[in-house]
Amino acid sequence: MNRRLAVSLSGVGLILLLALAAPILPIHDPLQMAIGQRLAPPSETYWLGQDEFGRDVLARLIWGARASLFVAAVSAGVALCIGTALGVLGGFMRGFVEVLTMRSMDVVLCFPPILLALLIVTLLGPGIGTLILVLSVLFLPGFVRVAYAGVLSVRSNEYVEAQRVLGASRGRIMLRTILPNIAGPLLVQLSLAVAAAIVLESGLSFLGLGVVPPAPSWGVMIRAARAVMDRAPLLLLFPCIALTLTIFAMNALCDALRDSFDPHARTPRARARRVADLLAPGLLPPPRTAQAGEAVLDVRGLTVEIETPGGSIQPVQDVSVSVAAGETLAIVGESGSGKSLTGLAAMGLLPSAARVAGGAVLFEGTDLARAEEATLRALRGGPMAMIFQDPMSSLNPVHRVGRQIAEAIRAHQTASWGEAHRQAVMLLAKVGIPDAARRARSFPYELSGGMQQRVMIAMAVANGPRLLIADEPTTALDVTIQAQVLQLLADLKRESGLAMIFITHSLPVVAEIADRVAVMYAGQIVEEGRVVDVFSRPLHPYTEALIASAPAEDGPPPTGIPGTVPPPNALPSGCRFAPRCGYRIPACEAAPPALMTPEPGRATRCIRWAER
Amino acid sequence: MSWFLKRIGLSILLVWIVASIVFLAIHFVPGDPAELLLSTSGFAPDPVAVEELRRRLGLDQPVLVQYVNDFQRLLSGDLGRSMKDDSPIIDAIARRLPRTLELIVAAGLMGILIGVPAGTYAAIRRGGLFDRVASALSALGLAVPVFVMGTLIVLLFAQTLRWVPAGGYVAFDRDPWQHLTMLAMPALTIGLHLAPVVFRVTRAAVLDVTSRDYVRTARAKGVGPPRVLVHHVVRNALMPVVTVVGLQLGGLLGGTVLVEFVFNWPGLSGLLVESVSSRDYPEVVAIVLTISILFVGLNLVIDLLYGALDPRVRRR
Repeated sequence: MNRRLAVSLSGVGLILLLALAAPILPIHDPLQMAIGQRLAPPSETYWLGQDEFGRDVLARLIWGARASLFVAAVSAGVALCIGTALGVLGGFMRGFVEVLTMRSMDVVLCFPPILLALLIVTLLGPGIGTLILVLSVLFLPGFVRVAYAGVLSVRSNEYVEAQRVLGASRGRIMLRTILPNIAGPLLVQLSLAVAAAIVLESGLSFLGLGVVPPAPSWGVMIRAARAVMDRAPLLLLFPCIALTLTIFAMNALCDALRDSFDPHARTPRARARRVADLLAPGLLPPPRTAQAGEAVLDVRGLTVEIETPGGSIQPVQDVSVSVAAGETLAIVGESGSGKSLTGLAAMGLLPSAARVAGGAVLFEGTDLARAEEATLRALRGGPMAMIFQDPMSSLNPVHRVGRQIAEAIRAHQTASWGEAHRQAVMLLAKVGIPDAARRARSFPYELSGGMQQRVMIAMAVANGPRLLIADEPTTALDVTIQAQVLQLLADLKRESGLAMIFITHSLPVVAEIADRVAVMYAGQIVEEGRVVDVFSRPLHPYTEALIASAPAEDGPPPTGIPGTVPPPNALPSGCRFAPRCGYRIPACEAAPPALMTPEPGRATRCIRWAER
Repeated sequence: MSWFLKRIGLSILLVWIVASIVFLAIHFVPGDPAELLLSTSGFAPDPVAVEELRRRLGLDQPVLVQYVNDFQRLLSGDLGRSMKDDSPIIDAIARRLPRTLELIVAAGLMGILIGVPAGTYAAIRRGGLFDRVASALSALGLAVPVFVMGTLIVLLFAQTLRWVPAGGYVAFDRDPWQHLTMLAMPALTIGLHLAPVVFRVTRAAVLDVTSRDYVRTARAKGVGPPRVLVHHVVRNALMPVVTVVGLQLGGLLGGTVLVEFVFNWPGLSGLLVESVSSRDYPEVVAIVLTISILFVGLNLVIDLLYGALDPRVRRR
């Protein structure tokens, strides 16, 4: 149990205990009047003073808690039982029963809650019985919905199907399987209902339509104290504080319960960039100005670190790659190999939990890993651009695509919106979108996946970049569309002579588009070289396995790689690929192998490269 | 456009259902409705008075006839007559409804003006001092019931500091300044009640949107932080905020009851409490019906606004 849950639970428990113990506590009778001591201030016998009839305020507060909590607990309990039954029934029976229960709950939700309460009070007259009825009706839809949603998600699960096939009766399945599974959300709903019931009960009592005086209730007490607030303001404060504290404790309990049942609700803390990283440029190679024929992007020893609750991990470790103008470098690897993070780090777009822990990213001589955000912003979308994997989620859903391209143009050029929009239409035509002027006025959801990716490409090349990083640009697309998009990228590169980094997990795509390839595994580069060389003679078992796992038109059927990529918090101490490697020898697991250069322009991290 | 018409049709259907339920409510209660309305704390009412009430409310006729008659009356804009003084209820509603709406609009504006900027700022400086203080204040604000907030505000500003009168109402055309002073306290009370909710939703929505791919795309384009925040983050984060503010305002249509009572603001909700206390059933029905129709209407407006904010909604 976490600390928040424990604290809030004990807070609520304390209030509950006090209310339950009211009859046996050594306190005064809450109804006993002493007219002579009206509005007496706190004294030794009456700790919190006496009210307008001379009754003991402390005793009335404690007995008031009893009234509030009794009404809240009973009404929430009734709503829980009936609501869960209806919701489970509706979710399990489907058909007519489902429509009836769910729609009738929608109707209850049509009324503002307090109105429905007042309507019922008019008919039945005020009192505790009416209150309980009113509150139960009000909370019913919440429970029905939670139970219904829970049943819908559970009933499609395989184990429920399995039980049905095994011949269990419906009632048995409901009781044994579904109820325990929806208990968590129902408990959260119950605590919400209790908190809301306390608020509504006190409100109605405050209006004189709930608990009937002289019975003590916080709402009744606040109502009475209002009349004498000029003479005894404390009388008003005490029940207000008691009510607020109780609701505060209930709310805290609700939040804690919700968090403990839904771990996804918790989010890791953002971390600030370490000052030391900004102040230690002396440890790095001095920045140089770019010269002709030199690398456009030169990544040196890049390490990316992410703080996790279980300690810091390094999903990218000591990665060095470079790409020259007119050249395409492919970075290949499985999911989790660190290839996408490498690309994002190069753009200065790492998610907030991640940071560059070491190394340098030199773009035409400027180190982006330590550049000011303003410097990065001037480069991003201008001289260096990026295309992302999923075009649908990467385009802003609420803006027209033409406007999104125009925005990129206006971020780097002084152009009016009209001028930028004209350029955007030209770009759309350039990336092969028919009827570009009309398409520019479309929203992203109105375009197909291929079209969306063309829009993303148009956006990326809008300002004539010298470096284009494409992060799995074809993964989310159909095979035929993939080919078209690859062709488009190849054409763009040929026309403008830009440097391209192509991040992918698909070797056929690498063979088609890239000049050089870097293979990544578990955050490290394991092999690098010209595409023809690497494909014809891989120098690392992982590359060899990747090639073997890619389907070929004519040749042996593809073979998979046994095992999975180790998670970054449980890396092998030696060679990271050793556990999955067929060529493993004891030396592989003894120490992490360094990146070796068997011949100019090639690199491998396998100590047995010479034996192949 | 058909999406638009469908939404309106659905709202009319809802209004019909609500009206039917309000009409039928009195018949759901076990026992004779006329006797029920006249009985006070267990004493049997005068049989002559019961008969008289039964005749006046038309309860002596078959339920179906009553139902048809009531609907004909409603459709012609007649909401019935009050049991106290036999005056047309619609007049009282027409007089008091604008005051309640004025209060809700003022409170809604306050809630949004406090909640949205604070929520946005807390989200972009997550974990910072402002975020922690504002989050703690919002947790406290959520725990204070609205009538407690109102009572404490009266105690502080009217009773202790004596800045403003403790409550009441002056028509705007008689004394605009006095009118606004008296509006300020109830509006602030509800505004402070709304602000924590708006704050929390805004903060969560902004945090959610900030990690979306399209925000990364905007940054990848080299768009400056203010423009990313306004056009990409807040623009998309507004949708849940609109929903929640709408729901809250809808709840306020009836929820101003407590605040109008505390500040003696003669709005529609105050009339409702009066008629509930005196068990003036025709008046209660008329008011509940009016507010429910407004509630459904407000939900329609939110849906339409949603369609305007998010082009994807219109297609569904």
